Order: sequence, then structure tokens, then C-alpha cells
Amino acid sequence: MAALGICTGVAVAGGRVVDVTSANGLLLKAEQMPAIAGLGLPMVLNLSTRDVSAPLNIKNGHSDLYAALGWGWLVFLAPTVQAAYDMNIIAIRVAEAVNLPAIVAYDGFHTSHANRRIQVFADKSDVQKFVGPSPFKATLKGENGRFSLLDMGHPRTFGPYMNDDLINAKVQMDLKFARAYELLPQMFREYAELTGRSYDFVQQYGEASAANCLIALNTAGEAAKDAVDDINQRGDFANLVIPMVLRPWPEKEILKAMGDAEYVIVAERASQYGASNYLANEVGAALQRVGNTATIIQRSYGIGGLNFTKDDALAMYQEFSHRNSEVQFGEDQGLISLRNPRSTQSAKDRPIFDFAPQKAYHGAWAGDASYDPGATMTPLTAKECTLNAGCDSKVNLKVLSAMPSRFDKHTACPGCGIFTSLNLFLRGIDGHVCLLFNTGCGMVVSTGYPLTSFKVPYFHNLFHNNTSTATGVVEMIKRFKARGDLPEEVTVIAVSGDGGDDIGMDQVIGAALRNDPFILFEYDNKGYMNTGAQMCYTGFKGQKCSNSHLGSNQTGKRQHHKDIVEILRGTFAPYLATCAESHPVDMIRKARRAQATVRDGGFAFVKTLSVCPLNWGMDENVGPSAVEAAVNACLHPLYEIEHGNTRISFDPENADKKIPAIDALMKMGGAFSHMGKPEFADLAADLQAEVDRRWKRLKTMASIAEL
Amino acid sequence: MSIDFRLPMTDDLGFCNVLMSALGGDGANMAGKLLYKIGCTDFGLDGGFDARYGSEKKGTATDVSVRFCNLGTPVRQSGPTKRPHFLVVFHDDLIQPLDLGAGMCAGAVCIVNSEKSPEAIRQLLKLSGVKVVCLDATRIAAESRSRLNMPLFAVLCHELGFSDAEVMRIIKAQWPRAADANITAYSSAVSQSTSQTFERDELFSERPVPLGQGPIGWRNMHNGGTIDALTHSTINRDNRIAGRGHVPKFDEGACISCGICLTVCSDPGGLLWSEGRMKGIDEQYCKGCMRCVEVCPDTKKGRALTIDYA
Repeated sequence: MAALGICTGVAVAGGRVVDVTSANGLLLKAEQMPAIAGLGLPMVLNLSTRDVSAPLNIKNGHSDLYAALGWGWLVFLAPTVQAAYDMNIIAIRVAEAVNLPAIVAYDGFHTSHANRRIQVFADKSDVQKFVGPSPFKATLKGENGRFSLLDMGHPRTFGPYMNDDLINAKVQMDLKFARAYELLPQMFREYAELTGRSYDFVQQYGEASAANCLIALNTAGEAAKDAVDDINQRGDFANLVIPMVLRPWPEKEILKAMGDAEYVIVAERASQYGASNYLANEVGAALQRVGNTATIIQRSYGIGGLNFTKDDALAMYQEFSHRNSEVQFGEDQGLISLRNPRSTQSAKDRPIFDFAPQKAYHGAWAGDASYDPGATMTPLTAKECTLNAGCDSKVNLKVLSAMPSRFDKHTACPGCGIFTSLNLFLRGIDGHVCLLFNTGCGMVVSTGYPLTSFKVPYFHNLFHNNTSTATGVVEMIKRFKARGDLPEEVTVIAVSGDGGDDIGMDQVIGAALRNDPFILFEYDNKGYMNTGAQMCYTGFKGQKCSNSHLGSNQTGKRQHHKDIVEILRGTFAPYLATCAESHPVDMIRKARRAQATVRDGGFAFVKTLSVCPLNWGMDENVGPSAVEAAVNACLHPLYEIEHGNTRISFDPENADKKIPAIDALMKMGGAFSHMGKPEFADLAADLQAEVDRRWKRLKTMASIAEL
Repeated sequence: MSIDFRLPMTDDLGFCNVLMSALGGDGANMAGKLLYKIGCTDFGLDGGFDARYGSEKKGTATDVSVRFCNLGTPVRQSGPTKRPHFLVVFHDDLIQPLDLGAGMCAGAVCIVNSEKSPEAIRQLLKLSGVKVVCLDATRIAAESRSRLNMPLFAVLCHELGFSDAEVMRIIKAQWPRAADANITAYSSAVSQSTSQTFERDELFSERPVPLGQGPIGWRNMHNGGTIDALTHSTINRDNRIAGRGHVPKFDEGACISCGICLTVCSDPGGLLWSEGRMKGIDEQYCKGCMRCVEVCPDTKKGRALTIDYA
């Protein structure tokens, strides 16, 4: 999941990237897979097919492949080691031509771990010539409809929030498959001219006129070739079809390859539990659409890596040739014969797809091709955004008023803390900024299609893998810089709610351990506020959430608040800090330190407390004083940790501002203020004791140089 | 308890459709749910409640649909109604930007929170052959210490023909602690609303709700739905609907340009700064949260940012 998140970051920045996975690994990536396709990011994923657990079995099976069929990826099948090599090269070319990702699937162990004598290119320039130059070679301007996130002169919002327009995005995806279907024959031909190795949508082997046809994927198809030869030598005929492309679905080619078959055995290394099998259904539908009444016979084989040899193929041919002679099918027992006339729909307003007859979208619209609203803003320059250089610890808010805001006019609730904190933080960041958002209120209120609030490059990937995505983006920054295509500095800031850092905690820790040079900025509003104020780990004990109620059986959240900074302390990341809008000068300084850390090649994490008037049940105007109270109560202490060494930024005791936790909670709205009532006195005391304990511990660590 | 009740109007499927147009946070969702619940439990009806779920936040325009039918009518359609018989508008300034008159059925009833006259509202709605009911729900809610949704809910129930006494009984039972406030709001709303019925005329005719298909479709959408920030920025959007006109009053003479307001504003492009000095507020940004008012320091000349209660 994290690996594919990194790949997504690389691809959105404009890189060419390949990933490899198998079985449960693929399912772990499942959330990212359709997102990559939907974002139109070309890349290649090698799928070494294996059965999905449980019971756990690490061997070959196609249950992973079948799960991926509907995810919007081109799907290539490589029956041999040689084909796995060749298909990887062809897949990159078509993926980049149509802006879709591609899976190259080959059989786990049978192919993935097989040693075979294969032919490889002696000169890598021949490969480069075939696949074409790397995308964005010597330019970050858009090409072939694809854009780079790092085109700082032309900021774009990638991965917006989309309502009614989504269906149009899906029409586009299908059109890309249609384009791939058009382009592939020529690409296969060119590859054959270059290498002498021919590939096609489908391999047909044996006699196309034979009454019996076996359809099998990958190694099983290869093994069955020997069975076909064997049958031939005995003076009989058999047909064998080995599909090598499953998406786009090569319906015409498969129908042609099946020839005159009366019985089609579709052998699959998987079963669709409770239904007819995957490929069998697709082949059956294809036959039905042309009024072909051939009988489909389904065989699930080889699950969990059971070997499939020539003898197995022979047995299958045998079995249905036996049925052929023994069992009499009457006319009326055949498959329903229904001739569907080709659609008369006009391709102008409603695209139709050759690879899927009778398929069209209802309710999508084409748009006005001449629509050009013209530019309403000019991109921010690094120069106008550079105010802090050399300022070090001097912070002048008046000077900082000249920092252009990196976003404008979002639709967050009045009084929301998210963009207040982010804007303040960004005033401390010089030069070009690239913002990556996790899913949450912040992204939903700023990028409602077709408008964006962001004036700088922005990318929203998923709820929880922002940090992995950022890793991919900063890797591409490094590479573009090395080759001179990105002369100016770009600071990558991943923005996450506390929820994104709950469910993405593993990937946050991963990024910190890799020490990748970007800033992770967390706005902690103590709940899943975008989805209805559900409980999260950073919430205070006793906090009322939509799933931690107050009543006779429950007194709000049951556990004490998560301390993410202390969790990250163990990564020994170079810079960790907390900040608050109530202490703006401190926040600006921390933003500068975080940027300095990134400039030195390290990872920086900064967390702020962000009020949510709506779900905390507080007045819209009290945010600033509520945050200040939380700081003074040490509910959100301000400190920083540099390479493990703690420094307290603001000590409310020294400033004579220390207040009991309950005083702050009383200001923070109805989600917290009930703890001030006598019946919750024990709860308030418990929270106070925990806050005191943590504060004392923090002060102790700050007081000892070695800590 | 079931009361003999006849729906005042129905469409060809047997449904009486109610649409409430409001801002996130107004309580339209709550009012719609309550309406649907009492229709089912107390007036012997069936139907559907459908809210819009998506990216709408507090202050953003949203709508809620309730469709009533007689028990036994199959309830098969889902999603919000586009052909309301009853329209409830929580703020009259929503009418024009959202073209709320579109899709209204002939003979429909439009209930609008407004200080304006029914004639003025009808001009905004661009409708004829409808009844317009106006009430100052904002004032009634404030005076009765209820919420904005209560007076509008009251007039809606009244116009639907639900017995006022029965609805008031239900509200009392539902929120016993707020019973007095809600009942005051309910009865004030019913008694203080003004209505006018407009005959069908040449001036305005029924019009369908536009399809909502923008100029960008599958032919010209950028790869993966990418938005070009240079041409599709929110910069020209008007956030005044969310601000409801409640923006801070700015006195430049009292301002020392300390910059603290910049640190607490969620959308600080709306604080107009030029050459290190605060110059004013862009109302198209401001949602009126008044955070800046809270932090604005007292100076010798008073406070620069204040709340204008006028």
C-alpha cells in the first residue's frame, strides 16, 4: 500500500514507475489501484498471481487477478518468462500512450520463480526507442494530456472532490481503453519487427475449426499446447485459446479464436464462489451477443498452486469430447440465442466501445469543446513568496502580511481552524509550495469540481497514504533537480487531519524512518469531523463524539488522548513540533525550522490544535481563546524535539498562565464542557492527572540535555 | 395515533413533494426528518426523506426533500425531488443564485424567510400560479429563543394542513426542555406570516430544473479530473451567502495594523492588506465568524474590528 502510494506520488509528479506485488499485497493496494486509474496515471504493476488467503497459501492462483479486473487497469497476461519480460516493455508504451495504468500478470512461482533461457535486449537504447522517452523529458509542461504536479508555473489541483461530473470521468476512462484497443495491434507489430517475438490480444493454437476448444490463461495455456499436439498426433483436432490481454476485453479476437467450437471449456485457476466463474461469464456473454450457441463448460483448476500439466489439459479435452459423444443436447437446451443488432447510437454524443458491444453511459455529457473560461489568476512566483530568508528568529507579522495566501475562498464552516492554522503556518514557508492532502474536511471544502481554492500545486490521494505519496513526489523533485528541469526549490507539505494520522500511522512512521525531506502538518480537531464527528485517538478522555456518547452506560471517549509526537519521538526524526494559532510567532518560527530541516534533507512533523466549532459545539468566534486555553492547560503543550532532544516552547507555569484542564474544556464547547459538571468530577480528575503526568514528564525531558 | 388527513396536492405517482432550501447548519435536515416522522407516525402517511449528502458544510447551500404519499402507495423513487409542491426557503437571498422557482408545480406553495412582501418574493422566484407565504423567521426565532428551522417548520405544517395543535403537541413531547421556546416560535410564525396567491399570468411560466450539466464533460475534462488552477480558481466565487451579510465593521482610524487578525482568519485573502497596512474586509470572502473581532486589540482610538449589530 505504502509502496504503491509512493508510486502514485512519483507518477503524479511525472515519473515513470513500476511496482511488483502478489495476492494479499494486491488487496492491500486495493484502495490505491482504482485511484491511480481514475487519476489517469500511467505505470506498470507486475502481478505475480497467487491465491488470496485464507487459509494462507502462497502459491499460484488467479483470485488476486480476478479481484483487479474492474479497477480500471489495462491487464496483460504473460504465459512465459519471456512474455513477462516482453509484456513489461509493451505495457509501459501503451499505458503512457493512453494515460492508464497496466497490470502485467504472470503465474506466481510457475513463472515468477522459474529459470528459463530467454532473449533480452543487448542494448537498452533499443528498449528506450520502443517505449519512447521518459515522460516530461526536459520539460514539466503537460504532454499527451498528462500534467506534472511539479509544473510550478502552471499550478493544478490533482484528485479534486467531484460530485455529478464523476460519470464523465468514467466515460473518459472507457474511452482510454477504447484507444488502447486501437493502438495495441500496431504496438504488437512493431515489437515483433524489433524482436521477432509476436504477441496479440489472443493466442490461438491448434485447429480453429475443431469442435472442442479449451480457454486457459498463462502457464496452463502453455502446458495445454502439448496436449493439443498430442491430440493432433492421434489424428484428432482440438482448439486452444490463450488470452493475453483481458482489459481491454478482446471480445472479437476471442470469438474469432474460438472458431467453430461447439464446446468451450473455460479453465480458470480460481472460482467465483456462489456463481459461474469470471472468464466463463465473459466468454459466455460474448458468445451470446453474436448468437453463438456453443456450450460453456467451466473448470476451476490449479487453485493453491496445484500444478497443471499436459495430462490435465488432455483430461479436460477428454472429458468434454466424451460428453460430446455421450450427451445429446437438444436445440432448446443450448444457450439462449439472442441476436442483438449493433447499436445505432451516434458516437458523437454517446461513445460506444468496440470491446464491449452494447455498452454506453446513460446520463453522462460531452461538454462544450469550445469552452475556455480564460485565466483568472497568475501563478505565484518563488520571489513574491520569499519573505523569511535570513530572518531566523525575528518574526514580524506586519512583514508577513505580504506573504500571498496559497489558497483562497474555501467552503469550510465559519470559524474552522484548519485553514486558519495552515495559512498561518504557510506564512512561515518561503518559496514554492506543493500541498498534498489526506482525505478530510480540508480537501472536501477546497476542491469541489470544477473549481479549486489552491493557487499552488495540490494533490489529494487517499485518506491515509499522504506521507507515502509525498515520498514519491520528493523523490521526483530530487531527480528533476538533478537533471536541471526544476531549478527552483519546492517545499512539499503533506497536510493531514488527526484521522489521516490515525489510519495512516504506519505510513507516517515509515516516512519518518526513511527521513524523507518533506513536512507533515497535522491539524488535530479531535475527531472524524468530515463524516459526522466520530471518535478518533487524539480526542480527550470523556469527549463526546457521535460514537462515544454520554449516558447511563457511557461517559464519552474511554481512553486518554494519543500523543503522536511521542510516538514519532522513537523514529528520531530530525524535527518534531507542536504549534497553535494562539502563538503565531512561535508557529512561524516552527514553520521556518521545519523548512530548514527539509532543506537539510530531513523529515519534519508539525502538529497544531484545530478547532471545530460545528462538532465541538462552540461559538464560531471563540476559536482563538479556546486554543490558547488548551495550551495554557497543557492539553496541547507547545514544544519541539530536535533529533530526540526536547525543548519546551512555551511554559504556561513560567508565564503564570497555567489553568486546570477543565477551565480549557469549558471553553471548547459541548463536546468537552460536560466534564465541568459535578457528576463528571472523577472523569475530569482522571484527565487532569494524565495531563499533569505527561506535562511533568515532558518538562523533565526538557530539563536534561541528554533527553 | 392516526388522523384522517388528505394530502393537499399530489403528482402523477401520488406524491406531495416538499423541498427545503437552506444553508448547512440551519437545521433544515432536522426539520425535514421531523416532518417525515410525524407525517408517518401521526398523520397516517408514507413517503420518503432524502437529503443531499456530499461536500456541504456549515454555511453552504444545501437542500432537503420530503415526499409524502398515502399509505399503500408504492415508494419507489429515491433522491431529492425536482418538482416540489411546497418550497421552503430559509434565506431569500438563496432564491436567485439557485433559481429556486425552477421546477415548481402549478399551484405550489412557497414559504420564504424574508422581510420582503410576497409580491417581491414572487418576482425573485419568477413564478405565477403559486401561493407565496412570507415570514420573518429569523426575527421570530431570535425573539422566541428557538431556532430558525422552527418558525419555517411551523408554517410548512400549517400550509400542508397538519393540525397545528397536534404538531405542537408532538414538538412539546419531542423536546420537552425547549417546549416553551418552540411553541412560541410555532404560534408566532403561523400568526405573523403574510401570504398572497398569484394567478397564472403571462409574466412567468413554469420552467424545468436545468439538467446541471456544465460546460465540462467527458470530451474536454482534463486527464483524471485535474483542475487547472489558473482558469478554475474559486477566486471569483462569492461567499457572501455563507456570511449572511454579518461581516465585521472595520475602522481604519483605530487600526494599528498589528497583523493579529491575519493569524486567526480562516480565509485571510478577505483581509485587505496593502504595504503592511490593513485596509478593510472583502465581503466576498468573509463568512462572519468574528474571530478577528475577538482578537483585535484595544487601541487609543478604540477597536478597529467590531461587530455591527445594526
